[in-house]
Order: sequence, then C-alpha cells, then structure tokens
Amino acid sequence: MPTDASDALGSTSKDYRTTSGIPVKAVYAPDDIRGFDPLRDLGNPGEPPYTRGVHRDMYRGRLWTIRQLAGFGTPEETNGRFRLLLDQGATGINCVFDFVTNRGFSSDHPLAEGDVGQGGVAIDCLGDMTRLFDGIPIDDVSVSLVLSNPVGAGSIFATYLAMAQQRGIPWETLRGTLQNDFLMETVVLTAPNILEPSFSFRLSVDVVEFCTQHLPQWNPISFAGYNYREAGADAVQEAALVIAHALAVADEMVRRGHPIDSFAPRLSSFFTADNDLFEEVAKYRAARRVYYRLFQERFGPKDPRSSRLRFHVQTSGSALTAQQPLNNITRASYHALAAVLGGAQSLHVSAYDEALCLPSEAAALTALRTQQVLVHETGVTRTADPLAGSYYVEHLTDEMERRILAYLEEIDALGGLVRAVESGWVHRELMGTSYDREIAITSGEKKVVGVDCFTDDVPLQIELFRFPSALEQQRATLEELRLRRDQDDVDRTLGRLREAVERDENTMPHLIAAVQAGASIGECCDVFRALHGGWHQPLL
Amino acid sequence: MPLIKVVMAKMGFDAHYRGAMMVARHLVQRGMEVVYIGNRLPEEIVRTVIDEDAQVLGLSSLSGNHMVMVPRILRLLRQEGVDRVKVLLGGVIPTEDQKELLRQGVAAVFGTGSSLDAIADWIEAAVDHGSDPVQA
Repeated sequence: MPTDASDALGSTSKDYRTTSGIPVKAVYAPDDIRGFDPLRDLGNPGEPPYTRGVHRDMYRGRLWTIRQLAGFGTPEETNGRFRLLLDQGATGINCVFDFVTNRGFSSDHPLAEGDVGQGGVAIDCLGDMTRLFDGIPIDDVSVSLVLSNPVGAGSIFATYLAMAQQRGIPWETLRGTLQNDFLMETVVLTAPNILEPSFSFRLSVDVVEFCTQHLPQWNPISFAGYNYREAGADAVQEAALVIAHALAVADEMVRRGHPIDSFAPRLSSFFTADNDLFEEVAKYRAARRVYYRLFQERFGPKDPRSSRLRFHVQTSGSALTAQQPLNNITRASYHALAAVLGGAQSLHVSAYDEALCLPSEAAALTALRTQQVLVHETGVTRTADPLAGSYYVEHLTDEMERRILAYLEEIDALGGLVRAVESGWVHRELMGTSYDREIAITSGEKKVVGVDCFTDDVPLQIELFRFPSALEQQRATLEELRLRRDQDDVDRTLGRLREAVERDENTMPHLIAAVQAGASIGECCDVFRALHGGWHQPLL
Repeated sequence: MPLIKVVMAKMGFDAHYRGAMMVARHLVQRGMEVVYIGNRLPEEIVRTVIDEDAQVLGLSSLSGNHMVMVPRILRLLRQEGVDRVKVLLGGVIPTEDQKELLRQGVAAVFGTGSSLDAIADWIEAAVDHGSDPVQA
C-alpha cells in the first residue's frame, strides 16, 4: 500500500502533470493568468466567446437533459427499458444499437450470430423501429439515436422518419440527435467491409443536409469526442478532433451551397468526462472558446447560435474497473460533476457494472439516481460556470486552448480531417497515445484503486445482467419481411438509391423510399458497400 | 530460436479493436510475429492459424459474442487436428464464462485491466514449456 503522498492521479513522480501532460504547480496565483482579460476571454454565460456556457442562466433556465443510454436484445425488450427510465425520471431517450445494426448489416448475416442484440438493440427494418418506439411520445421527448456510423445512420434514421410519418407526427416537430460520425466508422471502430473515409463523410453530410431542409429541431450529427477519447485520445486530441470535424462538415455544407446559419446551429458534439476533474472542466470551457473563435473567423455567421458549441457528456467507460465494481459509482459521480461544472447540455452517467456486462436494471437506476442526487442535493445547478476566475482553472483553460489550436494546425497542414484519416495519421495518433498510457499503467506509474493498489479477494457481489438472444426473433422478422413485400418495389427503390450515390445526389430521400418499400437496413447499406466499400483500415 | 507466431482476430461483429491492437503492438515489441486479421468467421480464423502455422491464437471480445464464437473455434481447431495451438481470450468476459471456456480448452483468459507484460510473459512460458490454464 502506498504510504507517500501521491498526486491526484496517483503518480508518485515529482513531475506533476495533468492526464494530457500539462505541467501543474503546487499553487496558482494571479501571476499565472497574466494577460487574462475576463471580458475578452470569458464574457458572460450565454455570450461570446461562450467560455462560461451557452445559456445566460444555465441550469436555472434549462436543466441538462437526463439521458441514460439503453439498448439490448429485441426492440420490445429495449422499449421496456425506455419506459422504465422515463417512468423513473429520465428526461430524454438515448438508444444504443448492436454492432450489426450500427454497421448496417442484417441480423441473419453469417458473422452476426453472436452479436445480435448484444451491446445494443437489434433493428432490421421499419417494423422493428415501430416496435422499438411503441407508446413512446416521440413528439414530446427528445430522442438520441446512437447511430455511430454513416453507413447505417441514414437508413436506420429513415426507418425512424417513416415510423413518425405512420404515427402522423410531422418531422418538423421531432427533437433528437444522431451520432453519424465518419471517424467512428473509419478510425474508432472496426468491421468487415469498411467504407472509404471520403464516402462515409459524404453520407454523414447527406444526413446533415436533409435535416437542415426537413427537421429544423434535430441535431443531425454529433462529433463523438467521447469515442475518440475511449479509443486512445487525450483531452486535447479529443477536443481538437471534435472541432476539426465540425469545421470539415461546415466546409462541406457551404461547398454544397448552404449558408452557414442554415445548418450550423444544429451541429452538436459529444464529450467524455474522465478522471482528471479540473482538466476536464478546462477542456469543455476551452473547447467552447476555440469553437466560437474559429467559426467566427472562418464562416462569419450572423446567427450567434452558429458558433455555440453544445454538447452531450457520457461519463468515462474506460475509467471504470471490473474489480470492486461498486467503486465505479464513486468514479462516475466525480465524472458527472466535471460535466456539470463544465456546462454540459445533456448527460449520461455510466453504470457500475459496465466493465463486466451490459447495465442491469439496478445499475441503470443507480446511474439515473446519481444524476438526480447532483440535481437535487448538491446545489451545483444554482449558478453558471462556478469555477470561473479560479487561477488554476483559468490557467488550464488557456493552456488547453493553446494546445487544441496547435493540434488543429497540424490537422490543417495535413489537408483537413478527411485527408488526415485517409492517410492513417489519426489512427497512428490515437494508437500511440493509448499504448503510452497502457505502458504507464503497466509500469506502475499510474495507480488504479482496486486494480493495482488496495486490492482485495472479496468475491464479486453484483448480479450480472443476462438476457435471451435476439437472433431467432430477428431472423423470423427478416424472413417475414421478404415474404410479404413487393420485391419489384424493393429492387426499384434500391436501384434509385444506387443512381443517387453515383450521381452525387442526396441519398436520404431514396433511403426513406427503400425502407418504406420493405428493404431491410442491410440491403440499403449493401448498395453503399458495393460501390465504396473495401477500405483497408491503416491499423498497425 | 524461431519467432513465436501469434494470429489475432476479432470475432463476429465486435467492433472494439483497441485492446487487440495494443496487445498486438506489445507482442511485436517483445519480439513475436503477429498476424492481425480483423473481424472473421470461426472457419476463416482457424484456416489462418493453419496457413500461418501459428503457435498462439489471440481472440478478443467485448461485445458479448464469446459464448457463441469461442466454442465453435475450439471445436474447429480440434477437428482440424491443430488443438495444440494455445488459444488466448481477452476482453470483457464474465467470470463464469471464463471458467466454462477454460474447461472447453481456452488456455488463458486475460480480462480488462490485464497487463501487457503479463500476457507476453504467459505466451513465452506457454510456448516454451506449456503452461497451466490462467484466469486473469
């Protein structure tokens, strides 16, 4: 057991640094923020450069959305979890899909056997989406669909839009978010038959363009910094990649002829909240400032909302441990506090059993209660940006800003984010950072409670969540779909989708027509893969 | 001594490759040869092990598909007469599943939080003189 006083992250070295490597002094004083101009660098909450948050009265005016992730097994099972969370006080839906669905394959694909309904809900067609949201007031509740990969995001979202239409709910009234992030598809995760980055990026912008025209309250993309971080990025890289991605989408939308103010207010982002509390708060504050300054500088928007960085936070998954799992409740509480002190718009608290299995009902409810304790018991919602003016936090915010800008310059020099991904640079960056961190843990430089210090032999005392396979039901659904649909209609709509891809037309209207005709999500995505698949991910 | 050769694969649609790549990178640093083949069917994985004449097969699963895919791979290895290959499993594997898979023939399980050196050390020992099953 360590007996010496070690620093906040357990480093016993005398070289004190934040997780991202920013040196930290024992105490901060006015000298450390020389040149700091509150008017220029902070402004008021709800005013440029938005360092202090995107709303004037922050959580007094609008509490963050309590949005706990849910999704496993069949559409019916996940529907049950949605209802439970809403009944218990969640204020938004956050639906996660299994990898097969997320990658746009059918559940009866030969590789899929062990993965159907694992790690998320299985969806194959319009009928599944109808059952998933049966009885859920989607005209009232905001719905986040964690469709990470552009290959599948469009067609699965198409089933959501067709379902809304069936229920008589106008698209203009729908509120929610898609992830739709081409880095998820090409860098963060892997799968068979991956789309070329430039094509995956194009599909993501098709969704942004379609939503700009038809769903004014929907966030069509959410730059998934959270996942970049879980894949190895540090806090600087996380924020910089999010901003680089936002700039790339804005450039492409402008190139397609859309004025910046027609779409930029609905671009959204997604960050992690990890262990290093003050660095995380500084990250959110600095990211808002850099985002504002670069959007102003490069696009000159008239609408102030166009340069406001709004974001969802999910507390870190990789910081949680399989050993002594109840410690994760404590960890996630600190993570959630960082998110709230940093001005998040929406929050998911990770469940204590996530290093072991999908969240059980008990673990999911404890995570929800963690948010409710924050809201109702701690007083953190009383005032906006409570850490402003702290010598340490302002210093860290400035330092984060400098490093984010430097990283963005590197990406610009490579020709922008899409080129940086194609070249394998982003893969190498994330791999290098995560390998270095792993070596630091292995070599004992970093300590994790319950893993390499304060360990015990107490057997695991939590019940692991198990549920039946969704494979049979999804196979039957697909079989029935193929029997009852008009095959000519399906072939015709898929043919049009193929032409749209080849002619550089927006793919969304064709995806909606195809799923309405009875095409499965897998069949729609096969069209994309046939034309632009087979990209070799530059991994090792 | 010839290099130790390791085939590493993701099973089914499991999309989390970071852990597998990290292990791969470390094994290379420790002087082994690693063939990473990404997401594959059990048949393709076993075929690669045979074609590459590998001593070790590293399987990674964080999506919950291990109880479907691993037994099938073990069965195929036996059918093909290559069950001397050491099968390592990494990722998020509940304890009771670890026990069952070790019983079925997995040589070692390294769950989340396992050190990279522990994995490399185990492989060196196992390939040199054969090791006892490990649950980590």
